[in-house]
Amino acid sequence: MTATDSARLSTIRAKVHEGEPLTLEDGVFLYRYPDLLAVGSLANELRERINGDRTYFNINFHINPTNVCEADCQFCSFARLQPGMPQAYTMSLDEIRHKLVERQGQPVTEIHIVSGLHGGVPWSWYTDQLRVLKQVRPDIHLKAFTAVEIHFFAQHYGKSYEEVLRELMDAGLDSMPGGGAEIFAERVRRKICRDKASADQWLQVHRTAHRLGLRSNCTMLFGTVETLEERVDHMLRLRALQDETGGFQTFIPLAFHPDGNRLGKLPRPTGIDSLRTYAVGRLMLHNIPHIKAYWIMIGLDTAQIAQSFGVDDLDGTVQEEKIYHMAGADTPQAMTRSGLIRLIREAGRTAVERDTLYNLRWQDDGGPLPGIRSLEASMPYSRRDQRVELSVL
Amino acid sequence: MATPLRVCAVSFLNAWPLYQVLLEQPPVGDDGQPLFELQEALPAECARMLADGECDVALVPVASYLEHPEWEVVPEVAIAARGAVQTVVVVSELPLAEVTTIHCDAASRSSLLLLRTLLATEGLHPTLVPAPHGTGVDRVHGREAALVIGDAAFDLPARFPHRIDLGAQWLRLTGMPMVFAFWAARPGCLQEVHIRALHQARDRGLKQAEALARRYREGRLAAGLPAADENFYANYLRRTIRYRLDAWEREGLVEYIARSHEAGLHSAGEVHVRFAAREHEGVATSRRAPRLGSAIDVDRLLERAAGGGRLELHEGIVLYEQASTLALGDAADRRRQALHPEGIVTYIIDRNVNYTNVCTARCQFCNFYVPPTRKDHEGYVHSKEVLAQKFRETEELGGVQILLQGGLNPELGLHWYEDLFRWTKRNFRLKLHALSPTEIIHIAHLEDMSVREVLLRLRDAGMDSLPGGGAEILHDEIRNRISPFKNTTDEWLEVMRQAHAIGMRSTCTMVFGFQETAEHTLVHLDRLRRVQDEALARKSGGKGGGMFTAFIVWPFQAEGTRLKLRDDTSAWRYLRLQALARLYLDNIPNLQVSWPTLGPEIGEVALRFGANDFGSVMIEENVVSQAGAHFMLSAADIEHHVRQAGFVPRRRNMQYELLEVA
Repeated sequence: MTATDSARLSTIRAKVHEGEPLTLEDGVFLYRYPDLLAVGSLANELRERINGDRTYFNINFHINPTNVCEADCQFCSFARLQPGMPQAYTMSLDEIRHKLVERQGQPVTEIHIVSGLHGGVPWSWYTDQLRVLKQVRPDIHLKAFTAVEIHFFAQHYGKSYEEVLRELMDAGLDSMPGGGAEIFAERVRRKICRDKASADQWLQVHRTAHRLGLRSNCTMLFGTVETLEERVDHMLRLRALQDETGGFQTFIPLAFHPDGNRLGKLPRPTGIDSLRTYAVGRLMLHNIPHIKAYWIMIGLDTAQIAQSFGVDDLDGTVQEEKIYHMAGADTPQAMTRSGLIRLIREAGRTAVERDTLYNLRWQDDGGPLPGIRSLEASMPYSRRDQRVELSVL
Repeated sequence: MATPLRVCAVSFLNAWPLYQVLLEQPPVGDDGQPLFELQEALPAECARMLADGECDVALVPVASYLEHPEWEVVPEVAIAARGAVQTVVVVSELPLAEVTTIHCDAASRSSLLLLRTLLATEGLHPTLVPAPHGTGVDRVHGREAALVIGDAAFDLPARFPHRIDLGAQWLRLTGMPMVFAFWAARPGCLQEVHIRALHQARDRGLKQAEALARRYREGRLAAGLPAADENFYANYLRRTIRYRLDAWEREGLVEYIARSHEAGLHSAGEVHVRFAAREHEGVATSRRAPRLGSAIDVDRLLERAAGGGRLELHEGIVLYEQASTLALGDAADRRRQALHPEGIVTYIIDRNVNYTNVCTARCQFCNFYVPPTRKDHEGYVHSKEVLAQKFRETEELGGVQILLQGGLNPELGLHWYEDLFRWTKRNFRLKLHALSPTEIIHIAHLEDMSVREVLLRLRDAGMDSLPGGGAEILHDEIRNRISPFKNTTDEWLEVMRQAHAIGMRSTCTMVFGFQETAEHTLVHLDRLRRVQDEALARKSGGKGGGMFTAFIVWPFQAEGTRLKLRDDTSAWRYLRLQALARLYLDNIPNLQVSWPTLGPEIGEVALRFGANDFGSVMIEENVVSQAGAHFMLSAADIEHHVRQAGFVPRRRNMQYELLEVA
């Protein structure tokens, strides 16, 4: 680390303090700067300025109605291309309805719905998914269909983005997830997801959604074949759209998982790369309010640490998730609410349960957590007593 | 005929276990004559009588001893407390900082000196006014406080909003027990028979703690005094007060003498406590670096520690409780860089072999052991054929060492180990990083030999170094809860001390997640640091190179163990503890990450939180994997993760020498 490097970091720090946007070169510099913790604490400053000490979570579950997919993405262990192939499935509307019915009485506020690109079903199958769920629970928030799916619907069923989105909104669509962005650079898309919506198409779908009043998230898949420049470029394109529409709520970096797919020779994601990506993402995307660590993929341990590297959202207590687990994620599939709050609390943050649009539903007041014994309660009497006294002097 | 020794004991309840037996069953000498003639007095009066020749042996405050270094001290007996003592307290209506006068009970010099030491540390200067025993408490009002000692403290009315336990405060400041009093005697009058009688009186007295508590309670009621229930007093005798002058108490004693001297409160600089009639190492005051003022600023502490400055225990607690994780990590990373500027992260190829799973210790947190009484076939002891296979595989994989640990198997005596080590050395080129202190103590007990003898014999047979297992939390409050049948903290540390003294190297460890507090954690680190200070002093005095080479901390793996704790560990706490250890253990050169329990991703990050070593590849591990840790890495994996963190990976041996890889 040279003196010039430290001076450069100071310049970047000054920009962050002034709210000035960082450049591509700044982002790459932050990625390469050897002192990980210095980058982390800069990201942490911005995180605390925007979100205070809050760490958000929500209670949701996932439905993946089909894994049949016309796209043939190299990094995906989930897509199975053709109906009838082993492990390929398509749920009936009844099965989809049942996913929610079996959770009656659970405090779920959101369903996250993502599928493969399945053209062998009528358009109504997609809109009816939303309708049957809303019939069961009209107040449930449906966050459904990535931009890639929307683009596919438009092409396959001969509609404009706006028509597709309006019909889905009529059926009950409340917001959009941020998947399918991968890396915007054309070089990378050709290698890993050539069948998919292009960068411009992805961005145009979100632009349209934002114009129609939908909120959405955005993602970045890192750790395949992209360069650091291509990662930062990806962030900059998201930032430009956000400047235009303001419709993104959350940026979610997704670490690539190599098992079971055709990019299996690539190394597994590493802890340091994940933390750095959160931090750089926070700093580059100063105009997107939230940065989410998707713990189901990077593990609870790294997710907990990420709260000091720009992350203010730890996703939900996900009940069922297939995509990453087919690619070798070995995290526990469901995380209990108490367990999640404990991890947030221990990291010195205030846990906030939110709904999809970041309205506050509950805030941790430090009270006892069901199923978690407090440390103090387990101490022998004299110790507890003593701790009280110690605070006197 | 021998004349009985005139003994003066303190009448406070906390002294009862030491002398009540002498009254009830007066011990006699070989000639049938009583050994002692006993009377009771207040502590300061006991000291005066001994000084004036009005008695031969007295229970004296430690502070009085400073003025009479000619006195001989009875070894292994004391009145001490590890933390809150309940009966040495300052009470007031206002916070101590606002107090202008403290009425001090004139009955004890030790408590007064302790109070003055604590006040000097805090930078407070109230006027201290002597008050006859038992009268101070009536004068507490507004800015006037009282130091109350002895049984009077039991009756303290609840009307005082502020109550400071000086024992607890001392532990907070130094991490050590406070020794209040011990038996001292005029030089030359104590014989072995007296010492034995005083020890026996203590041991019998403690066995009767409940009876003493009952009698004490009845006495109070009869005198018209308020009384708590019997259990309260029994608990005080059994748990609060400690009657042994163990290694940690001796360290606390030295600290007390040194600190009060530094504060200018007495002129006895270098004190050698002289123990009567036994070969016993005298304890001397240690010199320490000057301290910071009383204002504790987390940033300044971190800055100082990052620069290699020594942290005091209470400062460590402040960092544990208040420093932000990134700031701790940053300071630890700078310290790591200063200690290991080459940008290298080392790792070793060795194999963890657990030679037996039969164990008598029955630790609550262990999933691995099989008790010797179980009559099924789960218990094993590896044969030489099995071991030879494992050792050969290790050599084939480029391994340089066997980490050999096992249960406390009552079937395996010293000869079994000696034979195994000699056989290993004859047939393999592997180093033996073998037997944790717990196993050494087990062998010493089994063979009725000293720890030192066992170590010498094993070293001669081929043992190269000692792993630091079995430490868990080196604080008996935690150990009593999780592993009551295993060695104490003092015993564990003593093995390391002895090993270092004969030139052996060892590692040291900590397992967190047993619901320990900041104090427990820092005391653990502090005691390791002290043993390492001794080792380094020995080393620089040219007496061999034995020392701790590395420290390793990892989270307790609770899954499936009998310990009824919810898992209260996390990666977050792991990184904090590791960073704090890098700063606090300023004299231990290497810190290993513990990726087998946390996974390589956190292992990588841990290299930026003070660690400089990635531990070992995992060819075999049986203990934590029985409780839910399932990570495996090859040398190539390790090197990948080390590079990710921005370091150059290099192989090493247990001495931390870099190895060339063919």
